[in-house]
Amino acid sequence: MRLLIVEDEVKTGDYLKQGFIEAGFNPTLCRNGLDGHHLAMTEDFELIILDVMLPDVDGLRIVKALRQAGRHTPVLLLSALDTVDDRVRGLELGADDYLVKPFAFNELLARARTLLRRGQLAPQSDRLQAADLVLEVAKRRASRAGKKLNLTPKEFALLELLLRRSGEVLPRTLIASQVWDMNFDSDTNVIDVAVRRLRSKVDDDHALKLIHTVRGMGYKLEVPDDDNH
Amino acid sequence: MTITTEVAVKPPQRPLSLGTRVLLFVALAVLLCAALLATMLQNSIEAHFAEQDAGELQAVAHSVMHTLKDPTLGPQQHHASLHQVLTGHHQTYYLVLDANDQPALSADGADLTPLFRLTQAIPQITPADLVSWQQAEHTYRGAILQGPDGIRIAVAMEMEFHLHYLHLLRWTLWLTIAAAVALILLAAWFGVRQGLLPLRRLSSDIRQISAERLHVRLEPSQVPVELAELVQSFNQMIENLQQGFARLSEFSADIAHELRTPLSNLITQTQVSLSKERSLEEYRELLYSNLEEQERLARMVSDMLWLAKTEHGLHKLQREPVDLSAISQQLFDFFDVIADEKNVQLHYEGPALTIRADKLMLQRALSNLLSNAIRHAVAHSKVVIMVRPLADQVEMIVRNQGPVIEAEHLPRLFERFYRADPSRQRHSEGAGLGLAMVKSIAELHGGTISASSVLDDNQEPGQAQTDFILRWPR
Repeated sequence: MRLLIVEDEVKTGDYLKQGFIEAGFNPTLCRNGLDGHHLAMTEDFELIILDVMLPDVDGLRIVKALRQAGRHTPVLLLSALDTVDDRVRGLELGADDYLVKPFAFNELLARARTLLRRGQLAPQSDRLQAADLVLEVAKRRASRAGKKLNLTPKEFALLELLLRRSGEVLPRTLIASQVWDMNFDSDTNVIDVAVRRLRSKVDDDHALKLIHTVRGMGYKLEVPDDDNH
Repeated sequence: MTITTEVAVKPPQRPLSLGTRVLLFVALAVLLCAALLATMLQNSIEAHFAEQDAGELQAVAHSVMHTLKDPTLGPQQHHASLHQVLTGHHQTYYLVLDANDQPALSADGADLTPLFRLTQAIPQITPADLVSWQQAEHTYRGAILQGPDGIRIAVAMEMEFHLHYLHLLRWTLWLTIAAAVALILLAAWFGVRQGLLPLRRLSSDIRQISAERLHVRLEPSQVPVELAELVQSFNQMIENLQQGFARLSEFSADIAHELRTPLSNLITQTQVSLSKERSLEEYRELLYSNLEEQERLARMVSDMLWLAKTEHGLHKLQREPVDLSAISQQLFDFFDVIADEKNVQLHYEGPALTIRADKLMLQRALSNLLSNAIRHAVAHSKVVIMVRPLADQVEMIVRNQGPVIEAEHLPRLFERFYRADPSRQRHSEGAGLGLAMVKSIAELHGGTISASSVLDDNQEPGQAQTDFILRWPR
């Protein structure tokens, strides 16, 4: 997956690049707005991650130019500014998402994947599976090793999210926003309790554990490596 | 980004100085009064002179008439006799015309014929009938009396004396007025200066007050009564400033403290770990532990930023109709798992009211309150959101049963980093900013937040019913 990162701050740029390489992307790092602008206009990327406050060319201007030239590459803005106005302005100019610094890298990764998935427009499959865990979305039925799981609606939604994005580390904020539509950073441990309960229903009676805690980052559903995917 | 457009406005002119204003008004008033007085005085003296003159002329005219009518006197004696009449009347003249308009008799000195062109003969001389004219560098005033058998007696006197007196009087009057005005203005100026003296003293007192000396107050009883209110308002302002300053420095101290503890933990932990070779597992453990601490720090910083922005009005509210029962239900769904863990039931009581609010902020406020309420609730109790319409507000109460909060803590619960129980682990429940955020959100919407905690007899001993009361404009 070709990815353009435009970020003038050296440390941030480096860790973004490393993080995306390790997550299986093919990122190009660009340290100033002028080159970033040029690359964005001339080469084909699947996603552009753009710092708003660049010393030479304003990130917002790059988005504007891109959209005016009819290029629809998804753009994720990074900014130290967090006011509703900035957010609205960025999105109005054609950016697809907006993340405020400081952010957790896995949050950025999760959002980047969401944007890429949106671009693919793949029909959401009704049947989700990981190892012997099967979720039939339309029927609201979940089973493990052929045995029906008794899930509450929220647990079902949580499991569906984990399955649809299996292999990805999902930060708590993303889970709260996707499953409960809570779009702010809450200091409660609701997500942890909810995942713990779900895990006890899904994994307790089985040797093969599917739901994993990634300390300090979030949760993921993954079938261990030697298994089929 | 907010763009403030500044409209170029011509700076308003500084109003006239208080002293100038007072002096102008006093000068105008004094001048008007003096002018009125002077005019009245002059008129009255002139009228008095006219009356006197009229009386005198009447007397002379009658004497002339009597002399003429006196049968014992021949025409030759008339002149001598009239001369006698006039001796008492200084500079008075007469001219008698007979029925054929021929001069019959006249006094020496002045020719009164012009008088016959100026006025008519009358039976009685009053001040209003007097006419004056100038003749050969003299000014005369006179009238014509109608005598018997068609004779007319013109009498007149020289006015030079009066005019001279009036002229002198006018000068004296205006000089006196000018002197009086000058004196009064001087007094007024002095008065204003004296009057403003307390202000100057006040100003120098105020200059003594600085950020380090905010405890200084002005004494309202030491200033004239007109300034007492100003002094009180000023004291109030200083009071507010002092509180603001105190809060600010407390806040800085809090930040320093709240950040220093986790930071020093991070540093110590890292230093200890690096002090000797360790297994990969131990390094990973250190990184994880650091990450958790760092995330907590990041959240605290972003919460503090959020609060600071709110206090500076940098958050724009996106008001929309919000259904309180729906938003509560959504929060119940969210908190369901942790409530369930504690066997706490979540309830909504009251009508399904709709208010105008920034949905995300209201959600955040209620979420913080609910999370608190559940955390401190005793097992097997209820946490209730009670909604009640008031006159022009909506009251939302988040109620739980739990340990009592002492009255002394209640009003301070909403301060940043305030913890009712200082021994409580700092990390156990967020950064201590949750309730401060609720307060900010309520105030941003023009609402209020308060708390009450009363021991509940229906509960186990020591258990209280604690209410967090949000009042929100409709």
